[in-house]
Amino acid sequence: MSTRRLQKELLELKNEGAPAGIQLLKGDDFQSWILSIEVLGESLYKGDKFALEFRFDSQYPIAPPSVTFVVNEQFQAPEHPHVYSNGHICASILANEWSPVLTVSAVCITLQSMLASCKRKERPPDNDRYVARAPADPRRTRWAFHDDDV
Amino acid sequence: MAQPFVPTVNDLRVKMCYICREEERYDEHPQSPVVWVHPCNCTLVAHEKCLLNWIQSSLEEPSRKNKALKCPQCGATYVLESDNPALLKILNNLNASVTLAGKVVFACGIAGGVAACASGLYFVLTSYGAYAVQQFLGKEMYDVLLSDDISRWPWHAFINLPLIPVSLILSRTKYVKTLPLISMFYCWTTTTPIAIPGTIRWRLPVDDYPFQPILTWPPSPAMVTAMLPLVSRGYHALIQRIEHWAMGIPSTAPRRIGRIELALADAGPLNVRIAANFLEDGEDADADGAVIQAGANGGQNQQQDADAPARDPAAAAAETVRITGSSLGRYIGGALLIPRIASFMGEFLFQLSLRSPMLRSFLAIRQPLNTRRAPNFWSLMNFYQPKTADGSWRQVGLGVRIGLNVLLAGTKTWADADPVWWRNSVGLGIFIFARDCLRILHLSLAKREIETRRIKSRTFAGIDLKELDLINRPPTQ
Repeated sequence: MSTRRLQKELLELKNEGAPAGIQLLKGDDFQSWILSIEVLGESLYKGDKFALEFRFDSQYPIAPPSVTFVVNEQFQAPEHPHVYSNGHICASILANEWSPVLTVSAVCITLQSMLASCKRKERPPDNDRYVARAPADPRRTRWAFHDDDV
Repeated sequence: MAQPFVPTVNDLRVKMCYICREEERYDEHPQSPVVWVHPCNCTLVAHEKCLLNWIQSSLEEPSRKNKALKCPQCGATYVLESDNPALLKILNNLNASVTLAGKVVFACGIAGGVAACASGLYFVLTSYGAYAVQQFLGKEMYDVLLSDDISRWPWHAFINLPLIPVSLILSRTKYVKTLPLISMFYCWTTTTPIAIPGTIRWRLPVDDYPFQPILTWPPSPAMVTAMLPLVSRGYHALIQRIEHWAMGIPSTAPRRIGRIELALADAGPLNVRIAANFLEDGEDADADGAVIQAGANGGQNQQQDADAPARDPAAAAAETVRITGSSLGRYIGGALLIPRIASFMGEFLFQLSLRSPMLRSFLAIRQPLNTRRAPNFWSLMNFYQPKTADGSWRQVGLGVRIGLNVLLAGTKTWADADPVWWRNSVGLGIFIFARDCLRILHLSLAKREIETRRIKSRTFAGIDLKELDLINRPPTQ
């Protein structure tokens, strides 16, 4: 199921164009895509460009994709109370609130608005502790969701 | 005035499944027609198959369970219809309450374990072992072979008894294939009875040692032990065949995924979850709690996508039963109950045999030893005293013969006593069979429930028709 659905999503992204501020950087297979994300308008992240990596397994879209911010020489994870310095994101739509009605671009838009509504640039309080023993796949983390605005 | 036009999912010009995002135009006719549903109050529609797949996977995920039947967009609750007989509900509740009991056992076990470490784990294990022997071999044999007086215990009791609970628990995992029965009683068949003053008169044999016949009824313990692997293999093959028949798994399925899961369901501080998946040969199945799952490609489903096997209802049913049915406490508690169950079933058979002479002779029920006038006890130790007249080689030969005879047929005491162990073993066998049948019934009902699930499709009542791309636009006023 995953391949056909990703083909459709890719076609939609190419035909209709990605949402504003979002750009497909790598989408040549159906295992992993990379999209760049910018926050438009006035926000703490004005002028910053981040990259999101989506990894899909064969259960997609029944199972959520694994979504992280890319951390390498070119990109950094945004400083945000729900984003860990290793790029892991604490967002309920990527865990227990996932639904197959969501798409790659819908996830990007949600994360974009999560960044846009940020009031203070800071790491999650447990950042160091989490990063030291985080699993490679953030879907294996048991998140406790603190507030509902994400 | 005519009824207002209320379109349904079949009136849409283009349907797009919100799960797989496949589209179907109204004038297309796919080779295998698929069922479309509009299950909620908004404009989302889906393939019924995709939606059922999503619902089942959400139900299996504790954190998503309560949202499994909610539309992600409008929040309406899906109406799920299925063949869900009362018996399945009873079995589900039974399974859940046994699991709860298992959790209690686990919690008590932790508490008991702390106490045991303080007061000596060895002592706790040994006491349990003595209890198990009493349950399994019967009070009479317990008094003759072991008794409550520790000072009389044979030396091997101190090794055998504490190993009993350990082997009972291990026998429920897949790693150890011994049946609990073997460790339970084999070493007791050859044990010299301890003397109980007043009830037993010791007689020293002179020349003719009463060799026990090896082929007797009930079968000698050695015979049972030797036959056990064979019987158990045959039984597993039979139960697996019944299960495959009941679950509709083709018997040609080449490999299966065996699965044990010791888990405390749900979250919590005691979230122990030890899961192991491994491939194994088809016939190597375990009757104890582990669930045989059809391999992803062994199912009967024909799927269009090579990369995503559609979920097989048999596997999903097994998943459902396993999730409500697995907990560490249940495994350990269940294992430690085996002697009690055997004893209960043996007593039940004994009561039945009072009415059936045939059953009575099958169970070989005899009078208890101490009500007989002259208990004819032979003790190997007492017997085997070298006689001066014989050559030493003859003595060795005789010793070996007696040893072998005791090994194969048990001691005379063993052979003369009422074979409580035999009816307990038969009873335990019946219990295991009944339990496996119940498990298969539960699995097949759960599978049927999943297979017959249908999502109720609703009309687009209450939705602005301009939002919908309909085949036939209603005449606009």
